[in-house]
Parts: sequence; C-alpha cells; structure tokens
Amino acid sequence: MLSRAAERVYWAGRYLERAENTARIVQQYSQLLLDLPREVDVGWFELVKIFGASVQVSGSNDDDEERAILEFLLSDPNSGNSLNFCIRMARDNVRNLRDLLPQESWESVNELHQYARRKLEATPAAEDRFEVLADCIGRCQQINGIFAGTMSHESPYFFLTLGQCIERADMTSRIIDVAAAYLQQNERLVLRYGSTLWTNVLKSVSGFQMYRQYSQPAVQGTAVIDYLLNDKAFPRAVRASILHARKTCASLPNSDHLVHALDKVNHVLPSPLPDDLDGSMVSETMDTLQIRLADAHAAVVDTWFLPAD
Amino acid sequence: MRFGANDYSATGFYDELIQADGTARPHARELVDYFSDMEASELLDRQRAVDSTIVDMGISFTIYSEGDNIDRAWPLDIIPRAMPGSEWDQVERGLKQRVMALNLFIDDLYNDRRILKDKVVPAELIDSSKNYLEPCKGVSPRHGVWAHICGSDLVRDGDGTIYVLEDNLRVPSGVSYMLENRNVIKRVFPGVFRNHRVRPVSEYPSALSDMLRSIASPEVEGKPEVVVLTPGIYNSAYFEHSYLARTMGVELVEGSDLQVEEDDCVYMRTIDGLTQVDVIYRRIDDTFIDPEAFRPDSTLGIPGIMRAWRAGNVALANAPGSGVADDKVVYSYVPDIIKYYTGEDPVIPNVPTWRCSDRQQLDHVLANIADLVVKPANESGGYGMLVGPHASKAEHDKFRDLLKADPRNYIAQPTLSLSTAPTLCDGSLEPRHLDLRPFILQGNKISVTAGGLTRVAMRRGSLVVNSSQGGGSKDTWIVEDDN
Repeated sequence: MLSRAAERVYWAGRYLERAENTARIVQQYSQLLLDLPREVDVGWFELVKIFGASVQVSGSNDDDEERAILEFLLSDPNSGNSLNFCIRMARDNVRNLRDLLPQESWESVNELHQYARRKLEATPAAEDRFEVLADCIGRCQQINGIFAGTMSHESPYFFLTLGQCIERADMTSRIIDVAAAYLQQNERLVLRYGSTLWTNVLKSVSGFQMYRQYSQPAVQGTAVIDYLLNDKAFPRAVRASILHARKTCASLPNSDHLVHALDKVNHVLPSPLPDDLDGSMVSETMDTLQIRLADAHAAVVDTWFLPAD
Repeated sequence: MRFGANDYSATGFYDELIQADGTARPHARELVDYFSDMEASELLDRQRAVDSTIVDMGISFTIYSEGDNIDRAWPLDIIPRAMPGSEWDQVERGLKQRVMALNLFIDDLYNDRRILKDKVVPAELIDSSKNYLEPCKGVSPRHGVWAHICGSDLVRDGDGTIYVLEDNLRVPSGVSYMLENRNVIKRVFPGVFRNHRVRPVSEYPSALSDMLRSIASPEVEGKPEVVVLTPGIYNSAYFEHSYLARTMGVELVEGSDLQVEEDDCVYMRTIDGLTQVDVIYRRIDDTFIDPEAFRPDSTLGIPGIMRAWRAGNVALANAPGSGVADDKVVYSYVPDIIKYYTGEDPVIPNVPTWRCSDRQQLDHVLANIADLVVKPANESGGYGMLVGPHASKAEHDKFRDLLKADPRNYIAQPTLSLSTAPTLCDGSLEPRHLDLRPFILQGNKISVTAGGLTRVAMRRGSLVVNSSQGGGSKDTWIVEDDN
C-alpha cells in the first residue's frame, strides 16, 4: 500500500471521528447549559478549552460569547476545530481514495459534505441546532457503518482504525481534562448539580448507557473519570481505544515503534485512581496523556507515511 | 431506407453501416436488421438503459469548468459502428508498419540522425521542434522502442479511403472507454452479439501489462514492479489512469509517491518502506516529468527521474521525447519515413498535407484557406485549429496573420468529408461524423486493439469529436466476414 494512501485513510478516520465527537460535545453542552443555574461556573468557554484553543469574543454579554464560540466550533470554515472544517477534510481525503474505499462511503461522505455546506454555512439557530447536530452524528455513524460492514480487513481498514482510535483517545482525554474542573466546584453546588454535570460528561462520548449497565449505578466524579480512562470494554474509553489500536498494529508491517508508543500511553493511565483525586492531578495526567498520544501519532507518521524530504 | 422509426439517409457521405442504395453493408446486415425492428420508443428505452448502466458503472470523464471539476457521465451511443474483419486486417498491418517505422525514426533522431544526414527529413525541422528534447540524446531504450503506446486517429473520406489523421505518441487516452463501451453494450444488447462474430477487445489490459513488463531492464530479477503515474484526481483522464492501474493490478502513483535515491534508482514510498520501481507508465506530459531536467515549476514530476531513466534503471512508457514524431509537420513526412526505414510503401495513406514552412505551399494555403483545415503543429484535443468552410471571414483573416507570423508552426489539409454512422439523436437515427482511434502497443512485440475508440460529433454537420467539446462515442465492432 502506498504511503500517501495510508496517510489519507488515516486522516479520513481522524477527521470523521473528530467531526462526530465535536457534534456530540456541542449537542450535549447545549443541553447541559439549559439545566444549570447561573451561579454554577460552567459556560461556553469550557467547550473551547476542550479543543485547547481560545476564541476572540467581540462584545461582553453571554449571547456574544455563545455566538462566537459556536461559530468557532461549528461553522467557521477556517478553524481547524470546526465541524464544518472536519467534514470538508474528511471528504477531501475520501475523494482521493475512491479506488480504495467502498463506493457507498464516498457517496455518503459527499452527501454529508453537501449537507454541511447548506446547514453549517452559518451557525445554526438554537432551535435548529439539535437536529442539525443529530443529523451530522447520524451521517458519520452511517459512514463508519459502511466501512465496518463492507471493507476487507486489510491495510486501508487498519489505517482507518488507527486514525479513529488515536483521535478518540485524544478527544476523550480532553473531555476528562475539562470535566476535572467540576471536582473543584463548591461542595453545595456539586451536591446539587454534580450528577447532572457528570451525566453530561458521559453523554458527550455516548457513554451514559454503557456506564449505567456495566459500571456503578451512581454517576459520580471519580467513578466517571475512572470509567472513561480505564474501561477496556467501552470503545470510547482511552484504554479501550489504545488496546484496539495496539491490536490493529499486529496486522501492519514494522509496527514495533507504534506498539511501544501505545504502551507508553497506557502507562500514563492511573489505575486504580488515587482516593484523593483532585482537579489539578487529573489535569496534569491528561497533559501527559496528550503528549504521549502525540508521540503515538508521530510514530505512525514516521513508520508508514515516509514524508518526502 | 427505413431504420428504426425513421427514414435514414446519409446522402453525400460514406456511411459505415448503410450503402449508397440504402441497404445495409454486408458486414452490418444483422446489426441494421436488429435495430430496424425497434420502435422509436424502444430505441429511447435502450439509450436510457445504456446511460444508467454508465452511471452505475461509474464511467466518467472530468471537465474543468468555472473553477470546479465536474465528473460527467461518459456519452455512448447505442448503435455500434462496424467494420469488416478483412478490411481491418489491412488497417492493422498498416498501423504496425507505421508505429514500427516511427519508433525507428525516434531512435535514429536521438542517436545517429541518419535520416537527417540523408536529407529525407530536414534537420532544422527537428532541431526547431519543441518536442525534440536535448536530455534524451544518446539514450537507447530497450528494444529500440520509444513510443510504446500509440493512439493513431483514423478517418474515412467520402470515397471510402481510410487515412491516418494524426499519431498520438505522447500520452494518448481513451482506451478505457473503448473497453467500457464494449462492456456496456454487451450488458444492454446481449442478443445482438449472437448473430455476429465480433472480435474481442478485453485482452488489452493484459497486453498492456505484458508490454510494460517486457521493457523493464534485463537486469531486473523476478517480476518487474510496474506503476501507472497520474497527475492526480483533477486530471481529465483520471478515470482512465485509475481504470488501467486497477485492471493491470498495479499501483496508481502520483509524483509525490516516487523518489530517486543516490543510486539513481526510482523508489515508491509504501507502508513496507521504499520499494524499487522498474517500469513507469506515465500519464504526465514530458516536460512536467522531472523539474530537474525540464520545468522547474512542475510539482507533478519526480526530481531526478531523467537521470534514472538515462542510467537505464527505470523504463518510462512512453519514453520522454517521443512527441518529436507526432508534431504535425513531421506527420507530413511519415510516408517518406516509412519508406526510408522499411523499404515499403505505406499501407494506410496520410491525409495530403501542405507545410506552411514552404513558401509555395504557404501561398497555396493563404489563397485557399476557406476550403482547408489549418492545424497548429503541437496542439491536441482539437484546440487552436481552423475549419475553413465552417469559419467566418474574420477567422480566415486571423489565421492568415497567424500563418504568416509563424509558418513553421502550421500545416493545412483539405477538408475531408468524414464518414458517418447512424446515431440516436433526439429519438431518431441520423448520420453523424466519426473517427476511430485504435491503440498500438509495442515492446518486445507489437499488437493492435481490434478496432478502437470511435468518437462521434453529436451535432449535425459538426466534425468535432472531442469529448471535452461535446463529442460522443460508439462501441466499435470488427466483424468477421470470412473474405
């Protein structure tokens, strides 16, 4: 398989995953904010932190802030974090791979792109937002379904999977990082709203139901963080993503470098979590985790993509 | 005669299926009967079936328009164009003779230059050609072959004579459409094949693959690594590049996938590391292939690939510099070239051609421009030419000025009355002009496709067959006639 093709499949996997996750996070956040009183210090800026970015807000009231941030996350064609941008990049990569990927996946990605061009040209109004985001999530899932259901388990599929796993682990770690701030909220608010906050965290990775079924019945901070970091069965948990990537390596040539890098990601995951877990501790761990994930990405690039010098 | 629901008449032209008395030509009798039995509504139904099969099979070509690339469904007319096998055997012999002579010619030009010393072809014509490439001097590709894949355009004049209109020796395209046209027609009209013995075309990808492997350096051990080099998805012929790579089972690469190492060998970057490449079927123009040797601004090419080729470490098909022989002025010398190298007379004649570089011939062209077709020496795709009888007085004057300013760059030919074939237009069968592009492969041996790609000018009276300018196509049948 050509390195260029491997690189494109990998990025198609990453951008599709990023698009789906971004849509879900914004959707959940919009819901959450409706449930919280003003005195809880959770706002739109928390969302931007997830993406490790900053947004310039013109004007000072909350509406200006909401508009600027949603534009940054959804419609801005030039922001590398916006849903619009991710969908366009996914489509560009798939377009170049029409010989390798199933025909239906190209058609679906193209339809998603056309949809985004119509619906995300400007930031969708609050009343339409839920539906547009739900559509985007659904279409991403459909495309992943086509990949899973119709692609031979050969090199192109493995690179797609690597892209998805690394993106997923990265995104989940960022969500945990931001959520860790909730641990610092004053006790009265945490008692009153903690469950709402942590339910939201789980829902932003579609993890609420699985958490309830297979983990503790109570939705509580440390347990949620532990689940999202260490669970081996939930596909969006960091550990599960890394294990999946590691398993995929077995089918690719010269994968020692990446296996080693993935093991180093796993070593960062604290298990069991300490009893006195606090926000800054989590934050520090997530920073290290993200650095290790960037190393894993670099290992993929160095091993297989052979960039021209 | 009655053909389909209409009276069909090709008055004044040679029709490929119907004779002057209105009856079917013998080799096309069953074909004409088959379609004559159809009502207009059925013809339209079948055309729709053909169109939707083409969409389903994803047969497309790309045109660049208003800053956007658009994939268009490939246009295919339902009525095949048929030729008798006995006639085709002659054409095939002529094409082989021609391509073998052209390859001897190119090899001579870049090495001994005997034909120039013998003054059969003027040296200044070659030295002033922008397709004569200095870096190719002294190179001897394997088997002495430079143009491995040639697409020669054939036309038939009013009296039935077949002429070679031009030779495409650089990156001729269209063969994938020839193959897919047959596949579509077989799907939509399985019945009609039962009554004819039509020569198959499907072995082309294997023949291409065998030819490409035959030109690898003799030092390559085992199976040579062959790739198809494309400028990328935005190229109008990308469908074909991808089709040929897929049907040969080789990688489709872009310039950025390849690199030339210190050892002057070409490697492609794969997930298994660097893999040496032995043969490149390149679909990139000569001067874009190596920014070190030609255009420094080319981002499509591979720096150093000319070095690798000159060192014999990689075979390029077609070899760079082959285009020197498809210059339209050089074309006018091809009958002499054939005679010079083979001692034979050409089997297929050239269209009579006036060279504007010759003072007397130029005067003739200037005086008779309204009756002639004027072509620039080095354009393809039907661009930059003048069809005298169809042009305005202002255009005649414009071309007179162009000819006087740069006579070396133009030739003129009589306006041929191109042959026609019945074509479905707006629900009825009408005569439309067409040409034929067969594909000739030469490596350790030489082969010709049975027929080729028939291109049709879809507008009444038009002679422009290029798909980028609204042309269509037909499946081309070489029918055994036991003569």
